[in-house]
Amino acid sequence: MPASRPSHILIVEDNQLVIDALTIVFDASGRRVVGARSIAEALAMTDTDPAALVLLDLGLPDGDGLSLIGPLRGAGCMVVALTGDDDPGKRQRCLDAGCLDVLVKPVAVKKLMSLAEQWIDRRPD
Amino acid sequence: MTRLDATMNSLALLANATPEMRIELLESRLSEALAEIAELRARDALKTQFLANISHDLRTPLTAVITHAEILRDGILGDLTPRQLESVRGIISGGRQLLTQVGEILTYARGAANQLTLVNSRFAIREVLEQVSSLNQSLLKKKRLTLWVEADPELPRVTADREKITHVVGNLIGNAIEFTPAGGRVWLRATRAQNEPVEAILVEVGDSGVGIAPEHHDLIFREFAQVDSTPSRPHHGTGLGLTIARKLVELHGGRIWLESQLGTGSRFFFTVPVEQPE
Repeated sequence: MPASRPSHILIVEDNQLVIDALTIVFDASGRRVVGARSIAEALAMTDTDPAALVLLDLGLPDGDGLSLIGPLRGAGCMVVALTGDDDPGKRQRCLDAGCLDVLVKPVAVKKLMSLAEQWIDRRPD
Repeated sequence: MTRLDATMNSLALLANATPEMRIELLESRLSEALAEIAELRARDALKTQFLANISHDLRTPLTAVITHAEILRDGILGDLTPRQLESVRGIISGGRQLLTQVGEILTYARGAANQLTLVNSRFAIREVLEQVSSLNQSLLKKKRLTLWVEADPELPRVTADREKITHVVGNLIGNAIEFTPAGGRVWLRATRAQNEPVEAILVEVGDSGVGIAPEHHDLIFREFAQVDSTPSRPHHGTGLGLTIARKLVELHGGRIWLESQLGTGSRFFFTVPVEQPE
């Protein structure tokens, strides 16, 4: 595995409280975590330092998080959507756009920790 | 001038008016009334949209509260004393209750704005009854209630939105458990519906609980209605559960009703057509 392969997690979420909580969770499993609070911020971060895994909220201040899935996948990131509601139509649109999974918030923290490690471990070369 | 004054004036005018004048007067009143109805409808739609937006927005900070509390509960920042753990568990279960209620308001608002769609699959109603039954075991045990599940394995599978049908059964059994005193009985039954315009399954959710007076049978399906709506009422909730259940059943082309008397328990019924129209 090349040394430069990204291993950190990007959390795209407009609420800082949620970013803080998830940062604590992934810190505990020894993962570097960065947060972006808008589509623009997420794109800028991905340009310079793409993450291994992106946890993506859909309702962002500068647009629908769905539009980020394509560019993130293009940069080689795995994307998992974290949505506030269990609208099945939205779920399908995320999967169609290339999300690995769609989780309804709040996801139990232990479950999120183990899922994130599985996704990162199993990513294709 | 109040509406009543306007009406009285119109009536006074009408008494002395020629037929042509009467028609003109009535036509102008009619167009005013129609304009008013249109305005009220628009305002109602705006309020529904507000309800959907606000309940959606409430979920994000709630998520943060629950996640932070789970971090403490799971010992990610170190172990808690048993008393601290108990208190943190209280925050989590309160937060989850609130989240469920906010979710109910959101579903209601989407239903009222016709923004709910069905995601259909083919499944046996029996699987839903068993799933709901197993989800409620701890609650049933706590109240010492016995639950029967009865469904003919030969019943045809239905094409329906499984999540929404599960929501309806879950809501009805939740009410049955809440309104049945300890030691009572609750049952779930699926049979073939008789006398329906299309082939359908009839689901019954019954209990031996407090029952509902016949004069309240229509009321309980109405939005925000609770038979006892005083702040000190013993049973809380948004009052939207049955309104949502009715909306979800009707979205499938089924119907929902109940049979109950005070003191003799309640039996709620709903139908699910076996096939959904294309």
